[in-house]
Amino acid sequence: MLTRRIDRGADNGKPIYFRFNGKRYQGRQGDTLAAALLANGVDIVGRSFKYGRPRGIVGHGAEEPNAIVQISHGSQTVPNLRATQVELYEGLEANSVSGWPSVDFDIKGSLGLLGGLMPPGFYYKTFMGSKKIWEFSEPWIRKAAGLGRAPVEADPDVYDKLNQHCDVLVVGAGPAGLMAALEAARTGARVIIADEQNEFGGSLLAATQTLDGKPCREWVSQTITELSNFNNVELLPRSTVFGYYDHNFLAILERRTDHLGPVATTGVRQRLHRVRARQVVLATGAIERPLVFANNDVPGVMLASSVSTYVNRYGVAPGNKLVLFTTNDGAYQTAIDWHSAGREVVAVVDTRHNPKGEWVDYARKLGIDILDGYGVIEARGGKRVKAALVAPLNREGSAVTGPPQTLSCDLLASSGGWSPAIHLSSHTGAKPVWSDDVVGFLPGESKQKERSAGAANGTYSLLGCLQEGARAGAEAAQQAGFGTDTSQLPLPKFTELQEQPQQALFLVPHSKRTSRAPKQFVDFQLDVTAAGIELAAREGYESVEHVKRYTAMGFGTDQGKLGNINGMAILSKALGQGIPETGTTIFRPSYTPTTFGAIAGRDVKELFDPERYTAMHRWHVENGAAFENVGQWKRPWYFPKPGETMHDAVNRECLAVRNSVGILDASTLGKIDIQGPDAAEFITRIYTNAYLKLAPGKCRYGVMLKEDGMIFDDGVTACLGENHYLMFTTTGGAAGVLAWLELWQQTEWPELEVYFTSVTDHWTTATVTGPNARKVIEKVCQDVDLSNDSFKFMDWRDGTVADVKARIFRISFTGELSFEVNVPAHYGRYIWEKLIEAGREFDITPYGTETMHVLRAEKGFIIVGQDTDGSMTPQDMNMDWVVGKKKAFSFIGKRSLERSDTVRENRKQFVGLKPLNEKEVLPEGAQIVNDPNQAIPMDMQGHVTSSYYSANLGHSFALAVVKGGLNRMGEVVHCPLADGRNIAAEIVSSVFYDPKGDRQNV
Amino acid sequence: MSEIIEDKATTNTVSASVNAAVSIESPLHYFLGKFSGMAQAKKGAVGLVVEEAGLRGHLNLRGNPQSELFTAGVEQVLGVTLPLSPGTFETNGDNSIYWLGPNEWLLIVPGGSEGRTETALRQAISGHIAIVDISGGQTLINLSGEAVATVLKKSSGYDFHPRHFGPGRCVQTTLAKATALVSKKADGSFDLVIRRSFADYLASWLLDAGREFGCRIETGQR
Repeated sequence: MLTRRIDRGADNGKPIYFRFNGKRYQGRQGDTLAAALLANGVDIVGRSFKYGRPRGIVGHGAEEPNAIVQISHGSQTVPNLRATQVELYEGLEANSVSGWPSVDFDIKGSLGLLGGLMPPGFYYKTFMGSKKIWEFSEPWIRKAAGLGRAPVEADPDVYDKLNQHCDVLVVGAGPAGLMAALEAARTGARVIIADEQNEFGGSLLAATQTLDGKPCREWVSQTITELSNFNNVELLPRSTVFGYYDHNFLAILERRTDHLGPVATTGVRQRLHRVRARQVVLATGAIERPLVFANNDVPGVMLASSVSTYVNRYGVAPGNKLVLFTTNDGAYQTAIDWHSAGREVVAVVDTRHNPKGEWVDYARKLGIDILDGYGVIEARGGKRVKAALVAPLNREGSAVTGPPQTLSCDLLASSGGWSPAIHLSSHTGAKPVWSDDVVGFLPGESKQKERSAGAANGTYSLLGCLQEGARAGAEAAQQAGFGTDTSQLPLPKFTELQEQPQQALFLVPHSKRTSRAPKQFVDFQLDVTAAGIELAAREGYESVEHVKRYTAMGFGTDQGKLGNINGMAILSKALGQGIPETGTTIFRPSYTPTTFGAIAGRDVKELFDPERYTAMHRWHVENGAAFENVGQWKRPWYFPKPGETMHDAVNRECLAVRNSVGILDASTLGKIDIQGPDAAEFITRIYTNAYLKLAPGKCRYGVMLKEDGMIFDDGVTACLGENHYLMFTTTGGAAGVLAWLELWQQTEWPELEVYFTSVTDHWTTATVTGPNARKVIEKVCQDVDLSNDSFKFMDWRDGTVADVKARIFRISFTGELSFEVNVPAHYGRYIWEKLIEAGREFDITPYGTETMHVLRAEKGFIIVGQDTDGSMTPQDMNMDWVVGKKKAFSFIGKRSLERSDTVRENRKQFVGLKPLNEKEVLPEGAQIVNDPNQAIPMDMQGHVTSSYYSANLGHSFALAVVKGGLNRMGEVVHCPLADGRNIAAEIVSSVFYDPKGDRQNV
Repeated sequence: MSEIIEDKATTNTVSASVNAAVSIESPLHYFLGKFSGMAQAKKGAVGLVVEEAGLRGHLNLRGNPQSELFTAGVEQVLGVTLPLSPGTFETNGDNSIYWLGPNEWLLIVPGGSEGRTETALRQAISGHIAIVDISGGQTLINLSGEAVATVLKKSSGYDFHPRHFGPGRCVQTTLAKATALVSKKADGSFDLVIRRSFADYLASWLLDAGREFGCRIETGQR
């Protein structure tokens, strides 16, 4: 037996060792895994999905349906790669993803297990039928038929994203793409050229053509050098443009270190380029169409162009005796390449009757036998093709017209023509157009700023590709604002043979009818056969999209790159209509599978989402705070002392505030500076109450409503001076409130002269609260009269606190005497520490959001977004007092407060709940009913909005919204819980502590 | 009317303290502290230098650019022309003015002079204006080095290519999952103005983005 390696002398790559399915092999530098496997005579690389049939390598690129492998193991394992696109590296470990227990002995193949159980439409019927069938079937289908396995450990590799902008993006670096990039580059346009292969050149990498009298590889490297010399050009090899989205936005996956193996690297494994391109040139080439004949899946049946690629590019001859089966001239190249490699061409089997022209003549001159008007109707062999069964066909290629004969061979290459790779153009919504001349779908009318060139556009001659590429590059650059739209660069000089028309043939007839003939595979990955498609048509499926789902054609990881066009054509014939009427399924991103890691990029772990810190954050960390996420802010939740549970800590903090003094970091509250002659008028229209008479030095609490009358934010606004105010918002509502103010000022009331500026980050707020609060402040602030007579509740003062200019607000969210000290954030930690130092003699207690929540709930103070949910009016919240009835101008939401629904009886109203069992804490969100024993669905009365245990009250309590609740004081309601318990509670006032509010006024 | 506005607002300006006992911390104070003891990338291998120019005076200015009184007043006080072209800034080295919107600018002045500047501006201009001291709420960081362009590409969807964003340009845009005012200086480096609460996140992001090129973070001149 001849060796499968073709000696290329100095061009032989150095040996590399790798493992496949546990066995060690030698490959060569420059091989793909597929090339190396073929060189080692590995025929079987996988087992088929349904029938467990042995499968071998068919293609040489993204279209490969069978050689799907899992690379490496552990945390860096990668499933479902195409061996045809995996570059070989020393120590590479690959395993087939299919075949159980192994690819050489597959249990499905032996028993024919799934074939009978999974007819076409199996998935469809399973999904549409009983859920139970799928639940029963799924585990064993996945085990027997599944593809690769996702890693279970965390991925140690680094992925990132780059946002790119360019004038011209060229997709594909074959002859058309290279010319396009060169033309665009010379105009000065910013150009990116990306190609999925490890080296640029596309089809030229495997061509034997000479350009300007030199091997075409030399022209390729010369062109790459030229492109690299432009500083306005970025070259991206190993980069798949996998999606084309709106507004000329394209996504590219660049594989930076995959070809080096899972080595410990500090670099970036894969990079996602998010490209905004002014103009795009799609030079994505074409994918050869295999011919569909009986047993066309036997290992050793390959695409003609793939055979040429392995011979010419990798120096691998995947067999000895070739039968070439074709419908066109182009594939004759494969027979010529095989012949030149010194191997035996058994015959060229050409379905065309009496083909003429330069290619046929040239092959004949080389002494190659041509069987014209014949077809290969069946491949013979089990684990490797042994012979081709050939028979004469009628002119249409629709029937066998004579007895078959057997041609002995070990390699059967087929070509049914080419399908332009129109995937990216389809992503834009361009509807593919069938061309009888090209025998394929061409890119449809552009929906975006793109054009296709070369084989992607159905132009297959080299000269045509170069010309079209050059033209497309010049046009794209010109439309992006560079150069003129005529190409200016000289093309290389060369000759090429002229092609004669091909025959359109999608299903090769057999002596038996399709349903009786051995299986004629259309989609290798999902074992879809011509008979299956015809069955779908007979069962009434007319739309190609329905047939796709019924048969699963094109559902594999290869997305039907090889089979779809044949499948559609077979369906058309079965339906008795043309291919244009049948149409094609829609291609969607991704072109090839894309790593999740690359889509996540660096937005992982601590960089997943911003953590916002206050100026005192480090102090909180140093003092053992437990943190709570409030929006993106990290806020201290509670400050546990050694040995304390959360419950212990919160009880201690709550008691400290009510009995002595506590301190809270309230810096996260939203703060908006408002200036302008109409500031007061504007604020009065935004809030439900009046601000026109608010004097400098005074503060007022307000509630703002959306147009529907529902509460959306609340807070205190202080008058800083005439025409100057400071508005506090909720922590979570800050950005939304600022946008709300700008919206109304800019669109509705532009005549009001008022400016808003966020000062949330500028000011740090330390709230000192409790009966001893004044004593603490007195120690650090000498220039403000802090007495209750001069500095009243809801006043604010300028002052100096520990030598820092500060604003002090007497506002209270605890119901206790409170001073909120505001300083610019640079001084935040300093002031915080000074206040704690001053409070030491009173055992000042830092407290967090949990204690803040308990204390405000004891007072019945609402938290917007917790006690309200966007459906509560001020009246619902028992806050009618905050609604100004006599304001000259309306306020936002006022009219809605008079709608029949907002004034009706029995709306949910804000009340307190006191559980009958004083130790039991109601879960927040618990539903409230009158009778826990009624039948389900129960009559819902409302729900619990806030619920805590109060150390100050000595019992649990809750806030809730209950239908007509304000008139139901003293009634007992019930909360039946999911765990079967029922908690009974009495409806009480929402104010549990200090109902008259004396404590904040002392 | 305008006189009253000026007086009240000036009274309420909180200017930087001069007492030496008062400790003052820039937004990246602790972040920078983490790196002070650590070996950072050597000079030769540094593709990115992140430098905080903290504790400058930052003032937000609103006003009517059609008013000559307004534009002339600003120029007189700061010695810098008020930029009226969208996405541009003007600087005289000490004072810089960044265009933020049709009636909004950011003024950056030497640290500690923000109070004086506000007072001077309120004396020089009248009418409907707003001046707000936001010095505590943000910081300025400078990015320099060969890898800056790539680091910005990793961080923002905006096109910072020299053809599109030359010296003198500024833009408010997204940076990772936060926002920044990005400007390009005459020396080719970039200034970012970022919010205090996002500073640690953004500094972590930038160092991460620069890691593959070698990077250094340091405190700049006050």
